Amino acid sequence: MFRKVFFHGIIAGILSAISCIIYQRIHIYETDLDFSKVINPTTMIAASMLACLLAAVGYWAFIKMFKSRGEIIFNFVFSILSFASLIYPVSFKLPLDVQSPELFPGLAVPMHFFPAIAWYTIRPLFKY
Amino acid sequence: MKKLFYPLAALILIAASAFTFFKGQDWTIGSNYSIKFSSSDPSGVFTGLKGAVSFDEKNLGGSKFDVTVDVASINTGNGMQNTHAKSAQWFDAEKYPVIKFTSSQISKSSEGYEAKGTLDLHGVQKEITIPFTFKDNTFSGSFQVNRNDFNLNPDNKKAGSDIKVEVSVPVTKS
Repeated sequence: MFRKVFFHGIIAGILSAISCIIYQRIHIYETDLDFSKVINPTTMIAASMLACLLAAVGYWAFIKMFKSRGEIIFNFVFSILSFASLIYPVSFKLPLDVQSPELFPGLAVPMHFFPAIAWYTIRPLFKY
Repeated sequence: MKKLFYPLAALILIAASAFTFFKGQDWTIGSNYSIKFSSSDPSGVFTGLKGAVSFDEKNLGGSKFDVTVDVASINTGNGMQNTHAKSAQWFDAEKYPVIKFTSSQISKSSEGYEAKGTLDLHGVQKEITIPFTFKDNTFSGSFQVNRNDFNLNPDNKKAGSDIKVEVSVPVTKS
């Protein structure tokens, strides 16, 4: 089972990373601001993969612990953690030479939900 | 009368010269200046520096700083903090859009120079002394401001009271 969950995590991570990169391009196009000193493709891919692989480990652990209720509890926990993680981009201090930090949360906040969205989106494709 | 013309003219010139104001060398502020502030909690930079800089090491009496900093140019690195800093609770950028320093006296000190003058911040004018050096066409100085002296949110105990300001201003001759 863990192999399937792990694969689920990897696919979700790739989808999340692609979404982040596309969203960043749209943000740069719309605002003409480049926050690539802080958020660049490497950090987006790494963060997405890490989040989704941690989710995979968490999912596997919750199923082991709570059996049939494991997925429900996991979904709640994943959503709550995604929401709680918003404190990071909102309170983040950018380098002082980066202009318009006011617009940084508009870039980073939606990205914090991409791993969860990617996970839930492809969940029906995996039968455990 | 003709005989008296030249001696009289010379006398007037000499008398007038006693009141002549020898202005220092004028300088243009370069674009890569930095105004950093730091305290136990907020820290950041201001980027909107403008003004007249007149400075001559050999004629400190004729030297003068008359500069302003755009309050709205504050950058703490965090968007919400920037908005909060510009609000009425702190700098009130709408009501007091600039911070102004006008020197009244520039003198030599053991480590460089000192500019005494009036700092106009948040509607409060206060005499301060800014020690500075002038090397390689760059003014560098560091001084402390107590935000409570300027009514900058004195009720807030979380943010540090003493704010260290570090200034580095490269200039070119006008």
